[in-house]
Amino acid sequence: MSDAYDRNLVESESSTYQRLAASIVGVGILAFAFALAALFDLTAIDATFVGLSLSNLLGVGTTLVGLGVVGLGAVSYVGYVETTPDRSAGLVPAVLFGLLWFCVAGLVVSQTFGFGALVWLPAALLVGAGAAGVAIFPREDIGSTLPAGAFALLVGLVFLTNVIGPDWAWSPTDFSATFTPKIVVPFLTVLAVLVASWAAGKAYDDFGARGRQTGAYMLIALNALGILSVLVILVAFVVSKGIGPLFEGFSVGASGIDWPFVQNGNQLTNDVNGVFPAIVGTFWLVVGSVIMAVPLAVGAAVFLTEYAEEGRFTQVVELATNGLWSTPSIVFGLFGYAFLVPRLGNSTSLLSGIFVLGFMLIPLVLITSREAINAVPDEYRDASAALGVSQWQTIKSVVVPAAMPGVITGVILGVGRIAGETAPILLVMSGSPFPSKRQAPNVLDISFSFTSSFPFVDASLISQEALLNSASALPYQLYAIITAGVGQSEAFGWGTTLVLLLVVLSFYAVGIASRAYFRNKLRS
Amino acid sequence: MAESSLKQSFDTFRAAEDIDASALLAGAVGVVFLLTALTSFVLRLGLEVPAIVGFVVVLGYGWYAHQGLTAKAVTFLMTVSTVLILGMITVFLVLESLHAFRLMGVNMLVGMDEPVTVFGVTVLPGLGNFWQPSSATYSLVPAMWGTFVTTLIATAVAAPLGVACALFLAEIAPNWAREIVKPGIEILAGIPSIVYGFIGFTVLNTYVFQNFQTPSQGSFFLVGGVIGVMALPTVVSVAEDSLDTVPDSMKDGALALGSTDWQTMTSITLPAAFSGVSAAVLLGVGRAIGETMAATVILGNTVGLPQPLYDVFGNNVTLTTLIASQYGDAGETQLSALFAAGVVLFVTVLFLSLTSLRIEAKLKQELSGD
Amino acid sequence: MSETTSKAQTQADAQTGQQSGGTTVEGETQEELREEWVQYEFDGQPAISTRDVNVHYGDDHALHDISIDIPKNSVTALIGPSGCGKSTFLRCLNRMNDRIKAADVSGEVEFNGKNIYDKGTNLVELRKRIGQVFQSPNPFPKSIRKNISYGPRKHGDIDVSLLSRLLGRDDSDEEDELVERCLRQAALWDEVKDRLDDNALGLSGGQQQRLCIARALATDPEVLLMDEPASALDPIATSRIEDLISDLAEDYTVVIVTHSMQQAARISDQTAVFLTGGYLVEYDDTDKIFENPESQRVEDYITGKFG
Ligand SMILES: Nc1ncnc2c1ncn2[C@@H]1O[C@H](COP(=O)(O)OP(=O)(O)O)[C@@H](O)[C@H]1O
Ligand SMILES: [Mg+2]
Repeated sequence: MSDAYDRNLVESESSTYQRLAASIVGVGILAFAFALAALFDLTAIDATFVGLSLSNLLGVGTTLVGLGVVGLGAVSYVGYVETTPDRSAGLVPAVLFGLLWFCVAGLVVSQTFGFGALVWLPAALLVGAGAAGVAIFPREDIGSTLPAGAFALLVGLVFLTNVIGPDWAWSPTDFSATFTPKIVVPFLTVLAVLVASWAAGKAYDDFGARGRQTGAYMLIALNALGILSVLVILVAFVVSKGIGPLFEGFSVGASGIDWPFVQNGNQLTNDVNGVFPAIVGTFWLVVGSVIMAVPLAVGAAVFLTEYAEEGRFTQVVELATNGLWSTPSIVFGLFGYAFLVPRLGNSTSLLSGIFVLGFMLIPLVLITSREAINAVPDEYRDASAALGVSQWQTIKSVVVPAAMPGVITGVILGVGRIAGETAPILLVMSGSPFPSKRQAPNVLDISFSFTSSFPFVDASLISQEALLNSASALPYQLYAIITAGVGQSEAFGWGTTLVLLLVVLSFYAVGIASRAYFRNKLRS
Repeated sequence: MAESSLKQSFDTFRAAEDIDASALLAGAVGVVFLLTALTSFVLRLGLEVPAIVGFVVVLGYGWYAHQGLTAKAVTFLMTVSTVLILGMITVFLVLESLHAFRLMGVNMLVGMDEPVTVFGVTVLPGLGNFWQPSSATYSLVPAMWGTFVTTLIATAVAAPLGVACALFLAEIAPNWAREIVKPGIEILAGIPSIVYGFIGFTVLNTYVFQNFQTPSQGSFFLVGGVIGVMALPTVVSVAEDSLDTVPDSMKDGALALGSTDWQTMTSITLPAAFSGVSAAVLLGVGRAIGETMAATVILGNTVGLPQPLYDVFGNNVTLTTLIASQYGDAGETQLSALFAAGVVLFVTVLFLSLTSLRIEAKLKQELSGD
Repeated sequence: MSETTSKAQTQADAQTGQQSGGTTVEGETQEELREEWVQYEFDGQPAISTRDVNVHYGDDHALHDISIDIPKNSVTALIGPSGCGKSTFLRCLNRMNDRIKAADVSGEVEFNGKNIYDKGTNLVELRKRIGQVFQSPNPFPKSIRKNISYGPRKHGDIDVSLLSRLLGRDDSDEEDELVERCLRQAALWDEVKDRLDDNALGLSGGQQQRLCIARALATDPEVLLMDEPASALDPIATSRIEDLISDLAEDYTVVIVTHSMQQAARISDQTAVFLTGGYLVEYDDTDKIFENPESQRVEDYITGKFG
């Protein structure tokens, strides 16, 4: 048993080489952070730190990273440390490096030196092929570090020599945009750091299969972190902007809670304008479409799972459900605008909105209900049937109750989806962009009185007028603010955004939590 | 096809329950009432209310006399109505767009402002204008191009990043992280598009305007990016679900052979979940194509093609924003042209959704070894 | 189908649990575990030796102080009633227990003189040298050829990537050779030689299991762990796999879990008997165990009095 053979099985403690690779990544992270700060206006690109402009500083960082990465490859290649590189870096890195260097060379030759396509194209092809060749032919340790390190080095030198500095700008003729250093310097830094860190990550675990895993994991983890941060920052941003307007004038007094943003409409006499009509509109919209769509969808789901046999008919239904599910909301809106609106009082109305959103809700509820009913174990049905209970009784008293949690979850999630829909209600429901409190739909109109003429009673539960009049809703309110020109009411807009976000995301949160809860219950 | 299947299912229906004459009569009367209500609504005859009252009465009788049968019939009618809704939308969209299609012919889909010639042969006709209601000229080319460009950008953002993130969540992240992040991402999938629109309009438009010095506020580049981010949570969550369905035993098999986790992911897990992952991506693409509000409020919505075509900083129009920005003051013909845009959207998205169903079915079959 | 099997198993588990539990409560019939019953002397080097291996699944103490030496180039059978921890022990030997979140392993497993639970163990290298065949066949949804060459390709021993083929330096010939050799070893070659590029999921259960054995052989392991490899197979396929295992013992160290005592008696050189609760009760030459076990409980188990 040779020594090397056993060393493969159990590795030594982290080596100097690994520490070197880690510190290169560390420098990269630092440069990355500064680049993001510049991108998000946290610091100016020409600000000076320790006597260097930020772009120069980033230049130092990327140069170090680039040198380090090239060094890592070289040290491994000459056998100064023992690593396990493959014969070649592989096709995918080769293609990517080829593309990268093709772009670099093409841009430099055409933009910096101003040559035409006859010169830059061959030059770029040559350089790109060269980079791909370096990735393919030498051993993996050189093939994956040299093109990466060299790129970081080039970027660093360009920043250091102020070829791209704080005063640089580039207006390509074919694009109606100008690239300013504030965008380009951070972008190039981030790109260089990512590429170089990937190579350093590979080096950290000695190249080969495990090195590739480390390099890939670094990028993937960073990506996941990035996505999550973008989404969280987005929500946090809305909250920070909206919390002020939302609670403006909020007070809890002897006469109860006074919350102008939620209780007021829009009126010149108001101190604080609010979104009361929009909240009421969204409420009735949701209630109405649930009343319309849920029985229909659940009934259809029952028929499809309990009565129908697999065949043409179920296929057609499936097709229709999927079609409805994927139809863009603006198409629903257009349909409502041209079909429903003329037939329902000939003006935009709450009722049209209810219908259109109900149509959108049907497939969402139908699909989840079908799943839920399908998940009810057959034993339940058999047990019930064995007692001589009729099929409908079984469905009514066994199947549907068992599927109820799943159905409700589907309804909640579906409602979350439609509550935020703007396009359809813009077309079929919206009226006044900034409704006053009086304009909030007053759907419930419970009255009962005796009259002298047939049928001698005058009872009403629901106000036809409210249903057939236009109404606002939270998403439409936000749209109205945008089209009115944000300048005057931006704060109002952020407040509305926050309310909308809270409403929709709570539906989602409740729906997802209940789904998780019932899934767990089902499993155990 | 639909008819014969209807009949077939009606026959099984009859065979299953013994239907006596009164039930049959009640059913027939109920259906007549319902059809009357529907026809009356579509043709605006004003008979909806009495017909619906009649139907409810018949329903009441049926519920009282033949509950099981009535329930079955009612759920059947409910099923039919979902098909009917899609059918109605389809028929109505097409009918409404016919006028514009008759007027413009294929030019609706291929008409350019200036004729496009290749070696002296005119390949695309010129209309003098893309979109001019005053001279009844309508071409969807700019809007289709806008949808294409923004969808391409959005997909370039959402597909690779989303799938990579799903892979991280499904295979790499520690359990506790997944249990927090997965539901979090699912919740964030619910952020309404108008919220993205508002942020895009107030914050990002200004940012891009200042730092890219674009001639006006709004660009395909920004819209594509925003829609891509908007589609990300959906792609992540659907792709993660499908990665999760790859059986552990398969992964164990690969690991026991001494492949690394990363090798197992790329050569076993991802290929095995390919159908679900591509369905996730197609879902994201479908979302991007149908996305309206964020694009409408960010873009300038001038009907025209960017110059040159690949200028992603162009500030033009997409199919959805064309509809949303013009429906309000559209005359009859213009509205019909907007319906044509709706038809193109509808068909594209339907095609995508059917494709994803196909892929899924096919790969499921392959995975089960047939 | 599979559900009912597992249910039946659970029931069997419960019954054995009750019986042995009963003896524990009575106390008098409870037999002491004896050190010397598990001491097994043999010539030559052990391939793997374990020292005081304990496994907990949460609060469930699934294995108690298992210490055995497994001789090289032989077949070692692990037998015992279901639920006694045989699979758990097997998974300790190539650290597949790491994949089970609830599992907590302590003790030492020495392989080539190194404790594989030491920090810094290269799991990839370890599992390359200690292969495993699972209870139910788990071929990859790829062609038969790719299934076999999976391990060597991932270890860089065979390169048939697109790049190498473009450069004309691919190892397709080596791959073909390897595929044929391993399939022959697993007695599958004649059945599949004409459809090497078909999806492996199209094979029958027995063929799939032999494919999985061939796949494990392709990485040229020193030790092969098999967890009831024949449990899902018909008698003909089973006897083929048994023949195969006996042949393998010439070059490999085989550790096989089986619930069939006849099978253990037929193919193994030594047998370790686990009993309910996760205890190793007796470990010796297979003949000795089956003809003249020291432990009363083992004798009861083997003669079918329980389990
Ligand atoms: N993944 C697991 N999680 C929790 N407990 C487990 C797990 N696998 C096995 N066990 C428990 O460990 C004990 C031994 O199981 P196992 O090793 O599969 O037994 P055998 O293979 O002998 O039938 C059983 O009690 C079983 O319930
Ligand atoms: Mg077992």
